Amino acid sequence: MSELALIIEDDEDLANIFAEALRGVGFEVEHVPDGRLAQERLQNGGAPFIVLLDMHLPHVSGADLLTIIKREEKFAKTLILITTADARMGDLYSDQVDFVLIKPISFVQLRDLTARLRPK
Amino acid sequence: MKKFFDSILNVSVPDPDDARRRRLLNILLLGNTIAALLALLGIIVASLIVQQSNESDVQILLVGIIVITLGIMGIYQINRRVSGRWAALLYLLLLNLIFAFTDSPAELSNGRSLFLFTIPIAMSSLILAPEASFLFAAIGGGIVAGLALSIDQNVNFFSIIGFLMLALVSWLSARSLEAALKDLRAINANLDQEVIDRTQALTQSLERERIEAGRNQAILNSIADGVILFDREWNAILANPAIRGMLELPLELIIDKNFRTLIEHPKLSSQSRVLLNAMIEHDTQPIGFRIVWGEKTLSVSAAQVYDNSKVSNSHIGTVTVFRDFTREAEVEKLKSTFVGIVSHELRTPLNAILGYAEMFKEAVYGPMNDKQVNMAERIMKNTQRLLALINDLLDQAQMEAGKLTIHIAPLKPAELLDALHGLMDKAASDKRLRLTSEIDDELPEILNGDAARLQQILVNLVNNAVKFTDQGEVRVKFMRTEDAKWGIAVEDTGRGMPESELPYIFDTFRQVESSTTRVHGGFGLGLAIVKQLVNLMSGDIKVESKLDSGTKFTINLPLVIP
Repeated sequence: MSELALIIEDDEDLANIFAEALRGVGFEVEHVPDGRLAQERLQNGGAPFIVLLDMHLPHVSGADLLTIIKREEKFAKTLILITTADARMGDLYSDQVDFVLIKPISFVQLRDLTARLRPK
Repeated sequence: MKKFFDSILNVSVPDPDDARRRRLLNILLLGNTIAALLALLGIIVASLIVQQSNESDVQILLVGIIVITLGIMGIYQINRRVSGRWAALLYLLLLNLIFAFTDSPAELSNGRSLFLFTIPIAMSSLILAPEASFLFAAIGGGIVAGLALSIDQNVNFFSIIGFLMLALVSWLSARSLEAALKDLRAINANLDQEVIDRTQALTQSLERERIEAGRNQAILNSIADGVILFDREWNAILANPAIRGMLELPLELIIDKNFRTLIEHPKLSSQSRVLLNAMIEHDTQPIGFRIVWGEKTLSVSAAQVYDNSKVSNSHIGTVTVFRDFTREAEVEKLKSTFVGIVSHELRTPLNAILGYAEMFKEAVYGPMNDKQVNMAERIMKNTQRLLALINDLLDQAQMEAGKLTIHIAPLKPAELLDALHGLMDKAASDKRLRLTSEIDDELPEILNGDAARLQQILVNLVNNAVKFTDQGEVRVKFMRTEDAKWGIAVEDTGRGMPESELPYIFDTFRQVESSTTRVHGGFGLGLAIVKQLVNLMSGDIKVESKLDSGTKFTINLPLVIP
């Protein structure tokens, strides 16, 4: 059974590219394009193996979603990757997450990184 | 009393000698008149007391005195209205005539009354002319001789010689008196001219000053900048109308008030108050710092005024100029917001283009031939260039808005160089260049600084070096420089720059030749950003370069950042 990767990203193209990279290394991919939908998904759905969280989202911010993920017991084992264009914001959350990816994010970079993270 | 005498004695004529003589004559005439009146009174009184006097003698005396008095009045009128000389001549002749009848011919020509004829001689030299004394010596002599002959006596030649001697003395003394007066008048005239000249000069300079002051006031009133002049204690002594509109306060609330009172006004933002207080307390002369007053943003410049007319060259006050910067501040804010939004909106699709191109290159959707892979690589490369440019623009915009800040944290120089190699080795090896790095042994293992911004500086400089070097190497060195400083040197073996271009290479949007922009891309923001970042870190950057023999950038940074 393949592991679930949850992509929270409002830009459709970036979400597509991230999804291809993750699928390419064998993840099952779920995409949420909006902060509010993501909030519902996180509260009601199961825990993914990895979450790729954009910090700049409409309606509910990435920071708020990160708080939910950190608070909920069910996400204790979930790997958290945040994506942001702002290096400062990356620095700010680097202690709370597993990886900070600064945009622009390379397809190859993401693919190679997640390949290493995926359980063999 | 004096005025009254002056009015009857003075005769106003242009020639001062003439005036003096005529006044002198008038004094004599007045004295004679008074003497005649007193004599008249005496005769009347005496004739009343002494009853048996000879009435016909008294009558002759009275008639004589009245005739003399009328004669004197006539001479006075001639003296005032017609001619001083004629009046004096008539007076002196009258005097001689009177004297000729005052005593017996024997006494007059040879006896006790002989002296009478000396009086007109002395007088004539004073009231007629110096040389006139000889004329009256002759007349006197003539009368004396005539009288002597009329009574068959010998002519008293000694007395005539005596008259002439007196005339000589009178002539000499009157002449020297006139000469002395003339000299005195010349001196006075010079003095008067000098006083006139000085007065005129003073009037002119006062007038010039008044015009100058008026012009300055007109300038002050018409300029758009608000101006307040403070004395040394920061009391406002002058303010122009523009400042009234800027601060929206009547001038009465500005002039004569202390600046410390003015800056307590609630419209001034608290941060601005701190800045202005610092300016007052430290007597600094800032240029163009911004303060917020109500809805307005004002730029403030201050210059101290010195009184350099005195030796002490003392500080007498401060001129502060306020410029309305509200619009500029709004435009700047809009610009930085605009650039921020545009950059974000540009970066997201560029990231997508980059991602899709990578997917082609990685053959995610099936195998690609070499040409297709090459094309995908070209798309990636160009996209990265665009992304780099947007980053530069964003940094520049942030720096211009003063928003770019430096975050100081402990960092390891070795890690900086490792990361640099990770980022730049490929670009160097693509051009068959060597990228080498070294760390000075004396440099501490841990430094304080902004790792991300230092990385940005290094990438920028190395990128530049690689761009402009066609063979050889790019060397990066970290070293201990002065006491409390460390340095970064980035050196290449590239084409270098002409010395004339060196002063300008840190300017925004500038490259040595416009053709290099076409060949190597970029808009010349990189070095401008590097310099500004270095300055933000309290450091400085220098460049040495020669055409065809490479370029070396040296950065000096403080070990302890203030």
